[in-house]
Amino acid sequence: MAPVIRTRGLVKDYGRFRALHGLDLEVERGEVFGFLGPNGAGKSTTIRILVDLLRPTAGTVEVLGEVPAVVGPALRARIGYLPGELSLPPRITAGEYLAHLAALRGGRGGERLGELAERFSLDLTRPLRALSRGNKQKVGLVQAFMHSPELLVLDEPTSGLDPLLQREFRTLAQEACAGGATIFLSSHVLQEVEEVAGRVAIIRAGVVVDVDDVAALRRRAGQQVLLRFAAPVDPAEFAVPGVQDVVLEPDGLTLTCLLHGEPMPLLVVAARHHVVRWSAADRELEDLFMDFYRRDDDEPLPTGTGRRAAGRKGGVR
Amino acid sequence: MTGRPGTVLRGVLRMQRRSMVLWAVAIGAVAAMYTAFYPSIGGAKWDVMMDAMPAGLIEAMGFETMATAAGYVSGTVYSLLGAILTLVCAIGMGARLVAGHEEDGTIELELTAPVARWRIYAERLAALWLTVLLLVLTVSAVLLVMSATMDLGLSVAHLAAAGVGLWLFGGAFGTLAFAVGAATGRRGVALGVASGAAVMAYLFAYLGPLVDAGWMESVSPYGWYTSNEPLTNGFDWPGLGLLAALAVLLVGAGLARFVRRDLMV
Repeated sequence: MAPVIRTRGLVKDYGRFRALHGLDLEVERGEVFGFLGPNGAGKSTTIRILVDLLRPTAGTVEVLGEVPAVVGPALRARIGYLPGELSLPPRITAGEYLAHLAALRGGRGGERLGELAERFSLDLTRPLRALSRGNKQKVGLVQAFMHSPELLVLDEPTSGLDPLLQREFRTLAQEACAGGATIFLSSHVLQEVEEVAGRVAIIRAGVVVDVDDVAALRRRAGQQVLLRFAAPVDPAEFAVPGVQDVVLEPDGLTLTCLLHGEPMPLLVVAARHHVVRWSAADRELEDLFMDFYRRDDDEPLPTGTGRRAAGRKGGVR
Repeated sequence: MTGRPGTVLRGVLRMQRRSMVLWAVAIGAVAAMYTAFYPSIGGAKWDVMMDAMPAGLIEAMGFETMATAAGYVSGTVYSLLGAILTLVCAIGMGARLVAGHEEDGTIELELTAPVARWRIYAERLAALWLTVLLLVLTVSAVLLVMSATMDLGLSVAHLAAAGVGLWLFGGAFGTLAFAVGAATGRRGVALGVASGAAVMAYLFAYLGPLVDAGWMESVSPYGWYTSNEPLTNGFDWPGLGLLAALAVLLVGAGLARFVRRDLMV
């Protein structure tokens, strides 16, 4: 089956500034696909091309097998979209506005309005200007999901939501997927997507630098491990598979290192000593970006396809 | 599945209803105020005042027609404050309806709804013309009532002629702001271009006769609207035709760009 989203060599210029440098992306039907990158990497630009707000400078884009700029309204009828910076008209109520958006879809979604508002405990009678940031985000989510679209394009969907509502969002996303929908969601925080997304693309400076499934990505990001011993240890001893950047404090008691893959070899070495304290923290996505930056210093700028293929291979479990 | 025709228009009108009503009240009040003053400064008293003024000033200010009720109402309401208020409302709204709502982001979910761009453009433009029509109808209604109660003798046909003129005049400049906004996405540019053009049109129409350059008045939309005194002489078809043609031209130019360009950037 054809992918739900396919871009090839997508380039987007804003005047003389190039926001996308040949972006390649493939999202399969029925998956929850995370689109990760730091602010300004080109996430929103890509998303706005998918919903035909922007037209690509070069390259091709297909959404649900169609070209957004050619098909227009008929394609947007099959998409639910949540903007990254949602602005709502101030003077009307949430209910009036959502009913209006349903009317723009020929009435589709109107019947699910009440149910969705209840799930997110959104008060439909309040004017939009009186809503908090979190409540505005709920309005955005309700309008994106209400017409049960085939594809959901969500730009930073959980920003501004408290943990309880983030969980409600995840449930909603899983339900939509179970119903056959595909979800494409962006974020600049790995944590936000890792519980809901299957695969993740990492975008940096307008290019996809890596596509992988979340677990593999997490494994590759590694953990920052801290060990504290009762007596001084020799750092050379800890040069075991999967362990990097071993640093021993001057007192010889506290050791930090970066761990990739299974912790067993490290634990075996550590267990020879008297361990008084230990911690292992998942590294943040930002650190992973730093790895990409570091790697690129001694490499030419990656071409999207080559990197993507490499990323895929690395992602096999 | 797309929305029914008129959905965008209804949404815009619902969100703008308060400001539309306020504008109509304001312009209706101005028309009523000016007209109420006519018995105290118009008619015979005006003639006495005119005798004391230099002829050049009278011509420059267009005072020579002020002696009749139609001339007075035309000079104060239709050519002056009523026209200015209509322009400010139309240009402000025209600049806001696409460019303004693009800049504040409130149009985004409409643009990503399954509605064609040309339809969003057309229905938002219709909201502009309906709003200007509301202002014109308010002015016309106020004047119709006051003419009857104060015995000013303004004919219904001539009020209609002046009303259509004001509608096309305000609508054309509102459309200029709308089209520039739709073409650029910049509200400031739309406001600047339309306001600048309105000031130029006014200057051309007023300065032309003073410096004996008839072409200046004949290229000015303000001249197309006022030079034949519709409230005194009735429908000025060539003038109305030019205003309508200008509006149509602007609509086409703005639309051609709007359906092609990047939105929300």
